[in-house]
Amino acid sequence: MSPGEAAAVLFGTFGVLVVLRVPVSFALGLACVPVLLADERLTPSLLMGEMWRSYNSFILLAVPFFLLAANLMNSAGITERLVNLAKASVGHLPGGLGHINVMVSMLFAGISGSSTADAAGIGSLLIPAMKKQGYDAPFAVAITACSSVMGVIIPPSILMVVWGGLMSISIGGLFLAGVVPGVLIALGMMATVWVYAHRRGYPMYKRSSWRQFAAAFSQAALALVTPLIIIGGIVGGFFTPTEASVVAVVYSALLGGLIYRSLALKDFPKVLYESGRLAAVSLFCIGTASAFGWLLAYFRVPEALVDAVTSWGSGPISIGLLIAASFLLIGMFIDAIPAIIILGTILLPVSASVGMHPIHFAIIGVISLAFGLVTPPYGLCLLISAEIGGVKVVKVLKDVAVILLPMLVLLVLVILFPEIVLWLPRLIAPQFL
Amino acid sequence: MKRILDGYHRGLKTALTVLMGLLIVPVLLQIVSRYTGIIPRYIWTEEIARFCFVWIVMIGAMIAVRDQAHFEVDVLPTPRTARGRGIAGLVVHSMMLLLAVAFVRYGYDFAQFGFRQTSEMSGINMLSIYIAFPLAGVTWTFFLGEKLVEDYRRMRSGDEEGDG
Repeated sequence: MSPGEAAAVLFGTFGVLVVLRVPVSFALGLACVPVLLADERLTPSLLMGEMWRSYNSFILLAVPFFLLAANLMNSAGITERLVNLAKASVGHLPGGLGHINVMVSMLFAGISGSSTADAAGIGSLLIPAMKKQGYDAPFAVAITACSSVMGVIIPPSILMVVWGGLMSISIGGLFLAGVVPGVLIALGMMATVWVYAHRRGYPMYKRSSWRQFAAAFSQAALALVTPLIIIGGIVGGFFTPTEASVVAVVYSALLGGLIYRSLALKDFPKVLYESGRLAAVSLFCIGTASAFGWLLAYFRVPEALVDAVTSWGSGPISIGLLIAASFLLIGMFIDAIPAIIILGTILLPVSASVGMHPIHFAIIGVISLAFGLVTPPYGLCLLISAEIGGVKVVKVLKDVAVILLPMLVLLVLVILFPEIVLWLPRLIAPQFL
Repeated sequence: MKRILDGYHRGLKTALTVLMGLLIVPVLLQIVSRYTGIIPRYIWTEEIARFCFVWIVMIGAMIAVRDQAHFEVDVLPTPRTARGRGIAGLVVHSMMLLLAVAFVRYGYDFAQFGFRQTSEMSGINMLSIYIAFPLAGVTWTFFLGEKLVEDYRRMRSGDEEGDG
């Protein structure tokens, strides 16, 4: 088979099955089967071989642990403490609860690695509160969904663990690279909230006294140590990312069980099971997507793509825009993890051909995929928030588009100025670059 | 039949919960042994953790078929009638069944291949991990069979009510 034919069969079968609503992981596996049967040098048990090889990875072990830590923190009621801290810090700005929403998402993103846990945890607390204070429901839903995407950009991030594990890029470096873009996104969203609040006359809270701020801070302080343990542990060379994720699990279990006393021993099996199943569903997809990606590589599809792209003679900026556009498009339809495996591995040689730094490439990909979490038809965070707010997704789309605008500007800036991404890792841990 | 499948499903859930708890142990041991020296450094802890992990992924993928928890994409609208939903279910679940059958058929080859190998560090026969793949195929076949029967009934019931 030529690269073109193989790509057509693989993507064609996959596309038809996904439209028919076959689960993405199954569609990826099924698309491999005809190709594996047609080529006489291949056999379908290679599908299982590739899946096994992708699961047999010590780095990916961090995925269930980061999910487990996030769920333990959620069950332990950490979110409420973060809300109180955010209220004491930004509640007095016009549109107080909107700013609180953004800031809590940012803080929570530093503890958890997943955006959906963020949207579910924060949405159930803040959307009802916002509606009660007279915020329009579509705005409340949109700001919750959009701010939750910081979960995958601000470290720790499950997407970055997958990305780093798959393409052998330093996960510590990726984590540090996500900090500046993440904070800029938060500031951009808070500016948007400010504009909304002025136009629509949204309420604000009375400014908290220093004493109130100190009280709220000390209530949340122990939870806020989590990102320091994770990032500090990895950057300082004390732990590998997988070990850091286990330390985060143990720390959140101790915090919830012994110090805050909000987690009982009988709660643990349920949290273990739910985190395990969610991790398994995401990771199972990694297996079939890896087999799919392996077949694309076997038929030299990435090389053909590099040849095609270099023949246009494009520079790093147009390639950066092309990469962002591809991830934005695929992110609308499939989950971020298989998207990384399929597109990331195809586009990595393309980005290398124009001399783009692998960490820069990864952050462009992760930010673009973050949009996919709130864009229809497959925007998990948007679906979760709309469900909590009791609003139809269609009604929210206009506000989502407005709130995403600053993030789109940031994505373009990141493509134009790689230093936004590379500055912090270069400053703190140049060995990662 | 439903009661047998319910029991099996519960057993898988328990196995997943226990394995998730166990998974923490080898990684913790690894950190403790590196920083304290109280326990000797177990080189095989890493390998055991990885094998545990493969089983977690495969068991979770088995359970998720019955719970319909695998991610899917809503491009087409959901059919409005019971008959339509039954037909849509028949299509999706029979496609998934194809992969399940492929896992049984070629997973057998894969498991045999594993039987001839032992792991590098702990010396476990690799069949004990590779077997997870054909087992997933068999489990999916049962769970999907149950779904297909439900879909068929839904399609027929839609017929009788005449709202198709």
